[in-house]
This record gives sequence, structure tokens and C-alpha cells, in this order.
Amino acid sequence: MQPFQPEEVIVEPGSESSPIYRNLKAALPQVPFIVMDEVALEHSHVDFSARDFGSAKKKLLLTRHKGEFLKKCPGSDGQVCCNYFVINFASNCSMDCSYCYLQEYLADNAALKVFSNVDDLLKEAEELLSKHRCFFFRIGTGEITDSLALDPYIGFAREVVPFFAEQPNVLLELKTKSDCVDGLLHLDPRERIVVSWSMNPQEVIDLDEHGTASLDKRIQAAHRCQKAGYRLGFHFDPMIEYPGWERDYERMLDQIFATVNWQRISWLSMGVLRGTPGLKRTMRDRFPRSQLLTGEQVLCPDGKLRYFQPLRVEMYRKMLGWIRRGAPTVKVYLCMESKEVWEQVFGFAPSCAKELGGELANFGF
Amino acid sequence: MSWDRADRDALCQLAVRLKIGENHLRDLMDWLEEIALRDQSEIHTLLRDKVITEIESDPRFGRADKLKRIKEQVRRVRFPRLAQTEDSIRARIQELKLHPEIKVTVPSGLEGGSLRVEFSASNREQLKNQVAKLAEAADKGSLQEIFALLAGRTTEGVL
Repeated sequence: MQPFQPEEVIVEPGSESSPIYRNLKAALPQVPFIVMDEVALEHSHVDFSARDFGSAKKKLLLTRHKGEFLKKCPGSDGQVCCNYFVINFASNCSMDCSYCYLQEYLADNAALKVFSNVDDLLKEAEELLSKHRCFFFRIGTGEITDSLALDPYIGFAREVVPFFAEQPNVLLELKTKSDCVDGLLHLDPRERIVVSWSMNPQEVIDLDEHGTASLDKRIQAAHRCQKAGYRLGFHFDPMIEYPGWERDYERMLDQIFATVNWQRISWLSMGVLRGTPGLKRTMRDRFPRSQLLTGEQVLCPDGKLRYFQPLRVEMYRKMLGWIRRGAPTVKVYLCMESKEVWEQVFGFAPSCAKELGGELANFGF
Repeated sequence: MSWDRADRDALCQLAVRLKIGENHLRDLMDWLEEIALRDQSEIHTLLRDKVITEIESDPRFGRADKLKRIKEQVRRVRFPRLAQTEDSIRARIQELKLHPEIKVTVPSGLEGGSLRVEFSASNREQLKNQVAKLAEAADKGSLQEIFALLAGRTTEGVL
């Protein structure tokens, strides 16, 4: 995995007192830190627009988050939803996957940002969790950033894991393509933290997951987390179809189940490569040689391109077979798929988001 | 992807000859680029393919018909397994030998996994007849195969 080495860290006044600032200063002693207010930032040379999405990742902006940290995962129109909440502690990602939806989602706000006011985040979470003790929350931090890729520099996990580990009605999922787990290993997750990996065969990682950890390193990191008491999750998402994909995905699953104890896996998810036509245009500009552009994808009713349904259902069914061979009773769900696809893959579909969310929460234990 | 001169000229000449509108042209450009990327081929070579040149020179087709057929041919090359699955489904719909008033179709791109059946009747007798014919068709193996194809289960190693 490529170490994170920003050209500069731009600090909004008021953020210097935060633990994130202190951690960054200690981890990046050679990087210039520039304190600059919003007005000065707007008139500076710093270009955070999407004109060059890759360049936006080379600078880090440390700023206060002004809105709400906790949001309901938006899901996708007409698709089965898993009733998930997200915490946005950062925005954008230091890695650069060619299929990443952030290229479109953050096109007008591409800056790589970390929010310094973790105390506000924890306060908001405390209010929500204590107000609804009868509801069990699944919350993730990997929606618009990678949960752990920046952790060696910002130390976010050690600021929040102890808090969530104490809560009776939450599972916090830290989702990553990195192997940056050192900051987690000395903390006590108390069955409240799931560390999960987005997984693809090394062949896909080499071609389309730029700057991420290798498959071996992700699996080894998962093994270390499991030994430290964490529950695990794996997301086979996005699954990529190419000649020989079956061999590579089957081998990857065998490798995972040979290394980690599947009985301590909270959930696995599957989802095929998907994106809007707008994202595809961006991919053409940024990664014109990527073979991902050549898949047999069709436009679905929710406005996203996916492999045509019989093809992707066959992919899911094959994956499920290999998963069941290694982990017979682990909870598996589909991400952003219709009820029809659920029926074709599993023979059933959850009746509502509450049902799927409840099941996943139960499987967390 | 930037197009080289030979590719640009080949498509441009086709576009002029068939007066291709912007939307059709954009579809063709995307598909041709993606085929060339996937197959490591050149766009001007793809456009010189026998099937395409035969459609273009066939005097039985008008301009709009030629464009429709050429576009369908490029789509078939761009989405070979989708096209093959659609063909297999179409063949099995034919095997059902349904009354012309009963129309069975699948959604574009095969998304949704279901068949659409349409029929009309102008009296009760007609309706009863058509329902009976439909029930008869429902017992045929071809219909089972259609649903299998829609659910990604291969009956002829299609996928």
C-alpha cells in the first residue's frame, strides 16, 4: 500500500486544538502545515475542484464539520436497503480506485478533508444512541472515505472506538481497503466494532484499485484484527466480471477462509460493479485503458449501469456457492440489488429494510 | 480514448452517408471505443466488418433501416452474451407458437427478470381461448427455459 504523503496540510483556524491535528503533526513532521481561513482558501492557489480529481488527493484539508455527522445511508432507488447509518468523519480518499463513485459524488467538492471536531461527532452519536436505546444501530464510517487508510496519520480510530465499544445498542463498522490496523490492536472492541474489508482478487487490485493494500495484506490485517477480538466483515463489492474471474474469486475466498475463523465473521456482502453513466464518463477521462469500461453493463431502473441481470445473478450464485463451502452459515447479503435479484440468488428477499437491518445486527454477534 | 485519423474518417464517412443524428452517433462511438479497447482492435477495421458493409450496400434497405441494423450489429458485438441470451429467449418464444394476438416480450437489457405477456380479446369466447392457449404454453419446456435464462441459469451454456 502506498504511504500517504500529502504535499501540504491546510488547517482551518480553530482546528489546531483538536487531537486529529496533534496526531497529524506527529505523523507527518516533514509536511508543511498552513493555517488558512475559508476566505483565504478560496483565493489561494489551492485547487480542490474535480478538474483534476487525482490532484485533490495530494493535499489534506483539516477543517471543522459544520453539519450533522450521522446520516442514514441513502441506498439506491427501488433496491433492497440494509438500514445502515453513516458517519462522515472525512471526505474523499487517499487511494484511487478507477471505479470509485466518489469521482462523481464529490465532483464539486473533491478536497481530501478530515474533520477536526471529533468531540461534536461523539456528542451527536451519544445523543442519538441514548435517545433510541430500543433501536439497534449499524453505523459505518466508510461511505465517502476509507475508514482506516488515514488512521496511522490522524488516529481517528483511537478517538472513537472506546466510545462505541461502551454503547449497548450499536455496531460500528470500519470499512477499508487498507492494512492500517495497528491503531486498533491495543483497543478493546467489546463486540461492538466490526472491521471489514472490501475484497477483490489481486488481479483486480493491480489494475483498478490504485494505492490500496494487496490482497495478502488485507487478509493478514483481518487476521490480526480477529486475534485482537474484533468481529470481521468482508464486502465482495464491486465484483468484476472478466475472463477467468471465477478462478480468481474462488481462490480468494479459499484464502480468506483458510486464514480467518469464519464463525467470527459478522457479515459478507456482494455487489457487482455499478455506476452512473456520468461516472463512466469520468472513468473514461481518468482511466481510459481500464477494461472495466468494457463490461456488458446495462442501464437499470435506478439509473445505474450493472452487468445484465442473468449474468450478474449467475455471478452471485457462483460466489454464494464458494462462500457456503467455506462458511456454511455466515450471513450474506446483496448491496444495492432489487428484490427480483435477491429472489433469484437466495430464493427469498427481505420484506423490508428493517428486516434486513435487524438480521444483520443479530449476525453481528 | 483519442481516435486516430483512420478511425475518425471511417466513422465520419458512415455518419455522413447515413445522416446519423447526435444520439445515435454517441452510442456508436461509445460502443466502438469499448469494443476496440476490449478486443485490442481498431475502429476502422470494425467498421469494415463484412456484416456492416453488406448492410450498408444492401439496396433493399432505406437509410433509417440501414442505421438501425448497423447499430444493432455493433451492439451485438459490444454485448455478445446479452445478445446471445436475447436470441435464445426469442427462439424459445417462437417455439411456444402462440396466437399472434398474444405477445410475449422481455424487458430491454433483460433487467427485472420477468416476462411481459399481452393479449387482447373482443369477446368472452376469445378471451377464454387465449387464456387456454396461454395455459397450454405455460406447460411447455420452452417457457421454463426462458425463465431459466432470465435467472442466469444456462440451458445451452449461453452465459
